[in-house]
Amino acid sequence: MSKNFFEIKNVDFNVGGKTKVKNVSFSIKNEGDVICLLGPSGIGKTTILRTIAGLEKVKKGSIKLNGKTLSSEKINIEPENRNVSLAFQDNSLFPHYTVEKNILLGSERNKERHKKKLTLKEIVDLLDIFHILNKYPHEISAGEAQRASLARSLITQPDLLLLDEPLSNVDQSFKEEIQVRLKKILNQLKITTIIVTHDSYEAFYLGSKCGIILNQKLKQFDDPYKVYHFPNSIEVVNFLNRGILIPAKVTGKNTLENWDLGTIEGNFIKEYPKGSNVQLLLQPEDLEHDDKSNLKLEVVDRKFRGTNFIYTLKTPSNTLIPVFVHSHHIHQHEVDEKFGIKRPIHIDHIVCF
Amino acid sequence: MRINFWYISSFLISFFVIIPILTVFSSFFENTSNYYQVLKDTFLLEYVLNSLILLLSVLILTFLIGTGSAYLVSFFEFPFSNFFKWALILSFAVPPYIYAYSLTAFFENYGTAYTILKNLFGEANYNQSIPKFDGLFGVILSISFSLYAYVYILARASFLYQPQNLIDLGKNLGFTKLKTLYSIILPAARPAIVAGLSLVAMETLAEFGAVDFFSINTLTTGIYNSWIAFDDLAFANQLSFFLLLFIFALFILENLSRKKARYHMDSRGGFKQKRKIKLSGGKSFMAFMFCFLIFFLSFLFPLSQMMYWTIKFPENLFDLQIMTLLTNTLYLVVLSSLVLIIFALISNYGNRVTKNKTLNILSTLSISGYAIPGVILAVAFITFIAWFDESVIKTYGFLSIKKVFIGSILGLVIVYFIRFYSLAFNGIKSGYEKINISVDESSYLLGYSKRKTFMNIHIPFLRNSLLFVFILISLEIIRELPITLILRPFNFETFATTAYISASEDLLEAAAVPSLFLILIATSFIIVTSKYILRDKNE
Repeated sequence: MSKNFFEIKNVDFNVGGKTKVKNVSFSIKNEGDVICLLGPSGIGKTTILRTIAGLEKVKKGSIKLNGKTLSSEKINIEPENRNVSLAFQDNSLFPHYTVEKNILLGSERNKERHKKKLTLKEIVDLLDIFHILNKYPHEISAGEAQRASLARSLITQPDLLLLDEPLSNVDQSFKEEIQVRLKKILNQLKITTIIVTHDSYEAFYLGSKCGIILNQKLKQFDDPYKVYHFPNSIEVVNFLNRGILIPAKVTGKNTLENWDLGTIEGNFIKEYPKGSNVQLLLQPEDLEHDDKSNLKLEVVDRKFRGTNFIYTLKTPSNTLIPVFVHSHHIHQHEVDEKFGIKRPIHIDHIVCF
Repeated sequence: MRINFWYISSFLISFFVIIPILTVFSSFFENTSNYYQVLKDTFLLEYVLNSLILLLSVLILTFLIGTGSAYLVSFFEFPFSNFFKWALILSFAVPPYIYAYSLTAFFENYGTAYTILKNLFGEANYNQSIPKFDGLFGVILSISFSLYAYVYILARASFLYQPQNLIDLGKNLGFTKLKTLYSIILPAARPAIVAGLSLVAMETLAEFGAVDFFSINTLTTGIYNSWIAFDDLAFANQLSFFLLLFIFALFILENLSRKKARYHMDSRGGFKQKRKIKLSGGKSFMAFMFCFLIFFLSFLFPLSQMMYWTIKFPENLFDLQIMTLLTNTLYLVVLSSLVLIIFALISNYGNRVTKNKTLNILSTLSISGYAIPGVILAVAFITFIAWFDESVIKTYGFLSIKKVFIGSILGLVIVYFIRFYSLAFNGIKSGYEKINISVDESSYLLGYSKRKTFMNIHIPFLRNSLLFVFILISLEIIRELPITLILRPFNFETFATTAYISASEDLLEAAAVPSLFLILIATSFIIVTSKYILRDKNE
């Protein structure tokens, strides 16, 4: 049996005597893997990180790192003895020290542990914070403070790095660049990392696995691709908000029938008996635009998103369906106009509930 | 919960401070001498009435002076307004009893006022036309001019952090300055003003030197007399118990009013520098005169009176062993402040890391020591040591410990510790409140233990708070009278006790020199640290 580098087994995550997330189990197989936890605000994502860091106690289940139990009902290794680093969302820089001193305090931790030591210069270059090194935390912006906090956590080169919404305050224009740099350095240094975020794009990019936390439970823990295309519950579909569920009837091994859209074909990821009534997941990229098609739906809204348009179409039974169209598409449809859908409708993976 | 070093030390420190409070409360059930009946039939009502009149008058006067001057220097620009901003806190350097000596010295028959009039207009019988500021009125003036700075400092800090938007909103709604003052500015500063007034109230009820000098009978002097004249410790404690109840009621009031108060704005953004209104003409002159009058009456007047006498009777200067008094005063100041700061720091950190409810309640109770007048504390301390010596030490055949604690520096430092513990604890606590708990957590996650977090992260952060607390305690100890008077070692005098002894022997001229030195030392402490007291970082 293969041994996991990090493992959470049947843990209830509590804060202030209240259980936030129940009976969670997941693992990180290899050292250096990055996973992301996604969920709406206030669901308990931060509580999970705080518990792993040792700031909250475990009353049920166990948390193991590299074969060693960090937390269980009986064991609780103090945060300072875990070599687990947590970068808080609200940065928590020491207010009376400059950014440089803050970061260097982190570097003192693992003086002896690592052969390849991350230098201040490397970390400063990585996060582009040279200009704020001599400033105090109250003199810098929230985004800069977040990067400085991230730098302090990274420089400790911990066995496990926990990042709580690490880029939530970083400017949108700079965010993607930092994401790329962060991914690169985590890979280079092989720092096992758990990132908590509510930004699914960030999670899908940074994590090799994603966990979705909803209604006090870890609903799904899987590859980003599978989480997106093969959500395992209606709650996950609703949370990701990347599609809608429409009623359909299974008519064959590879076909379904919908009252508004007609026949839909593709590969079922799960078998359903012929004649079953199901809820079909329809994602914006599942439908194709075709002006010549006789399947016409009414445009009720159009959002310009730079690379694409998202049309919201109304079916005769008043269901609203989102459809992506490349923004270079010449024929732009206005609200109230008719929008043609290519037939027959083909969906690569048919997900039903 | 884990019992660790921080928990145990915080618990012991808080428990230690509570002992005298418990002693006072337990005395309620003890028998008293006949003095109780005598007093009840004669002066008790007078004690209570005098205390109440004194309290109410001082509160009204300090509110008017403190809030009025804070309002002027915070919102308006007029000649010397920046000077008055810090000059108005110098009144802290003049304790009420020294103010009382100055009042008497100036207005008494053939006093300084008489001399001035004689020099100006020649010999005449001015004594009848010079008003006499003594008795209860004298006490009210002495305490008010000495203590209004509590209200001034807290009200000003609150005005300083009031958002400019609120005031702009008032203008936008068409409010006059007066309406803006009573419908926006004062209500917003209410918690701070009430907090300042509560401190004044506690100090007034605890005041000993000035009331004793003007021979006004209050509950505090009653306690002192029942102990000194009638040797009735139990009754002294019972009187203390009633005074304590009164003070606790005020204390709860203060806590309740603080509960909803928010004293600071977020450090990043939000704070907008207040635009002061530039006054001109008559208004400017009136504002200047108001502040100048307060500054003159509260500080320049007692200072110059004491200087005048020191110059007029220089022999007193040479009779006094200034260096010994200075050494004694500073010795007590440094020793007590250090002990207080170290223990208050440990206790604060213990409370922070253990997050234990029992400890929290114990700490809240322990900081009520400040509400207990020095006289009561000193008496309670002697009661406790006497009881402990009789019932525990002697029972087991050990040598008496009375001499170790009563009439010794150790005893003095212990009672100062209990009396001023709340100043140290709260001062450090307010510093700690600025450290987000995630700072501690970040430190643990960087591998720092609790001890290292305390030493390497917290203490450097609290440096300014610690300095501020040191100055506050120092000022209190320099001015402190009853505890030092009752518990000091034989032949060990400070500026305060020397001044008191001379004044009580009707040698006011001799009291001038130690009083002057006391004012000068306290003034230098205030000037050096005025920026911490005024908290003007953002201004």
